[in-house]
Amino acid sequence: MPALPLSRICYVEDDEDIQRIVRLSLERIGKMSVDVIADPAEAIERMIAFKPDLVILDWMMPRVDGPTLCRKMRERPETRDLPVVFITAKASPRELDELRALGAAGTISKPFSPKDLPDQLRTIWNALPAQRA
Amino acid sequence: MNPIAAATEAVRPSARADSAVTPEPRLLVADRAAQLYSQLPVGLAASVAIIVVAVYALRYSSHGWVVYGWAGMALAITAARAGLWWGFQRSANTGQARRWMRRLAIGALANGTIWGVLASMFFGLTGEHEQLFILLVLAGVMVGGISMYAASWPMYALYGAPIALPFTYGLATHEEHLLQAVAVLVPMFYAVSVGVAYRLNQLFLSGFRSQHAYRKLNAEYTALNQRLAQQLEELSVARSQVEASGRKLALFVERSPIAVFELDPQGRALHVNPAAENIFGYGENELSGRVIAEYLFPPERRLEVAVRWKAMLHTRQPAMLLRQRTRRRDGNEIVCEWSLTPLVNSEGRVISVIAQGRDITQQLEAERLKQEFTSTLSHELRTPLTSVIGALQLVNSGVVGAPDAETLELTAIAERNGQRLLELINDLLDLEKIESGKLPVELQVMPLDELVREALVLNRTYGDRFKVCFEVTGELLPARVRVDRRRVLQVMTNLLSNAAKFSPEGAVVEVSMLDQGAQVRVGVHDRGPGIPASFHARIFSRFAQADMSLTRQKGGTGLGLAICKRLLELMGGRIGFSERADGGTTFWFELPKQA
Repeated sequence: MPALPLSRICYVEDDEDIQRIVRLSLERIGKMSVDVIADPAEAIERMIAFKPDLVILDWMMPRVDGPTLCRKMRERPETRDLPVVFITAKASPRELDELRALGAAGTISKPFSPKDLPDQLRTIWNALPAQRA
Repeated sequence: MNPIAAATEAVRPSARADSAVTPEPRLLVADRAAQLYSQLPVGLAASVAIIVVAVYALRYSSHGWVVYGWAGMALAITAARAGLWWGFQRSANTGQARRWMRRLAIGALANGTIWGVLASMFFGLTGEHEQLFILLVLAGVMVGGISMYAASWPMYALYGAPIALPFTYGLATHEEHLLQAVAVLVPMFYAVSVGVAYRLNQLFLSGFRSQHAYRKLNAEYTALNQRLAQQLEELSVARSQVEASGRKLALFVERSPIAVFELDPQGRALHVNPAAENIFGYGENELSGRVIAEYLFPPERRLEVAVRWKAMLHTRQPAMLLRQRTRRRDGNEIVCEWSLTPLVNSEGRVISVIAQGRDITQQLEAERLKQEFTSTLSHELRTPLTSVIGALQLVNSGVVGAPDAETLELTAIAERNGQRLLELINDLLDLEKIESGKLPVELQVMPLDELVREALVLNRTYGDRFKVCFEVTGELLPARVRVDRRRVLQVMTNLLSNAAKFSPEGAVVEVSMLDQGAQVRVGVHDRGPGIPASFHARIFSRFAQADMSLTRQKGGTGLGLAICKRLLELMGGRIGFSERADGGTTFWFELPKQA
């Protein structure tokens, strides 16, 4: 379990409505600081600037999808070790295999409950090995 | 050995004789009996004639009563033998031949005795001429007996002994020395006669055997002929059947929508059906005699095709469902599913190969579109629903400020129905996945009672919502089953939530486990209104709800039981229901037990 509680999160999502719901959920219920990133192209720079504890990626986005972005993060030393959680609407066996290959810390399936989202993320965070925090 | 037994024994062919050729001994006895009895009337007539002549010749030579007394005895014996003959004629049963032979042997002995008595009676009483007469009569009956009893030499021996014995004695004790000399010769004549009878007997035997062998051969020949005729007829029927099925087959190939090629072992086309011409765009004249793989498969696939072809020729086993991309004559690519069936002759050599190709291009395209559609549907429906339900949940939880009571009531309705829509989508996608065989099932062996307990814990809150309590009745059995944990929980959740929805407030829903031998059964017993009979047949089909007004009132998609049924089938189990005697319904499912 990491030494510090989960408090800073980067969320990459193109759908504005879901952005707003997740922000409200994490800030109001989870009492976390959230940086919502709408454009995956600038995601990595924003992550480096924000220094999150954990990154949430939407699986399906136009232009650059979640897995591609995750692979790009792994190429940069600053973002390589950040724990990644995917939000996905479909969980076929092929996708689950891909998630494992990408080394994702966890997945949240759509639709998720904003009431429970902070707790779900904390459960994933607490299951991480201590040295990653 | 007593002579009568010997007479019948001798009839039996020697045990050492070639038993394979020798006809059945019983039949041989029957034949000999028939032969001996058929001669009996001649013997009887001769006896009567001799008796009459003897009486006439000797009537004055001695006391009349002796002659007539002898004649009376002789005629009585002859009559008894005639009775024997009559009896034999009436009996049809050849199985009793041995018994008839025994009777005939007794008859022969008695017959011999007639002449024996004649011999012994008259030596002391008569003059020289009479003695000569008797001498000649006795010689006559002794020689005549040979032909009469030739089919059985012991019978002849029995016949001759009572004649020869007193005759020899009479001659030996006679004063005349010439007759004494004859006494020495009579036993020799007897022995020679028996010897001749024995030889004749052998001849008869071999005759009977030949006759039997011939009869058997004849019977076998007739049977063979009949069989041959039958086989010929069968062959002709088979031939017309083959011709008919050949015509049928040709028609099938001709009209089949599947491309059919007959190829020689080198892969050259011998015959091409119209469907093949249509599917690939080549005419039969273009393909005939050509190696069709070179026409139909792109160069990079040919090596693989060649390897499979060789393997098929080597194993002589059909190669099924090989999916290959194929180029049509017009350059368009299609995908075909091929099967190769070698035709092997009786020496195990491949004569030709039937290659069948089914164009599955459209089918593959349809499958791809359906999958894409399902996937898109899943994503495109769930994403907006995430926003709708999420936003409503945030409002209802009061995180963004407390709305007034009426607003809250409305947003609660909106959230609840959003959830229903979501359930429906999930159920539909599940069902679609199961039916297209794409639902992953991870089977593991685990104790079923733990899954039942887990399901009860998971659904307790749901039960509370309907003020229904879940209770275990009896023991939960630690039976081990091979299942996908998530799918069993899904089934249990479905059954428990149905039971809760349809039971009255305050009711108890009982859960039980029952050992069924090879199966273990889990039952969920509710106190609901029961299931209308009209609905029994389609309760496990899609969108099945007995009363649609209940759907609106209690929720549910009408897909739950259909999904349960298919999930259980995936795990080798089954689902069913029964009415409870005291009201309510029991839904149960069974799973095979693991060792």
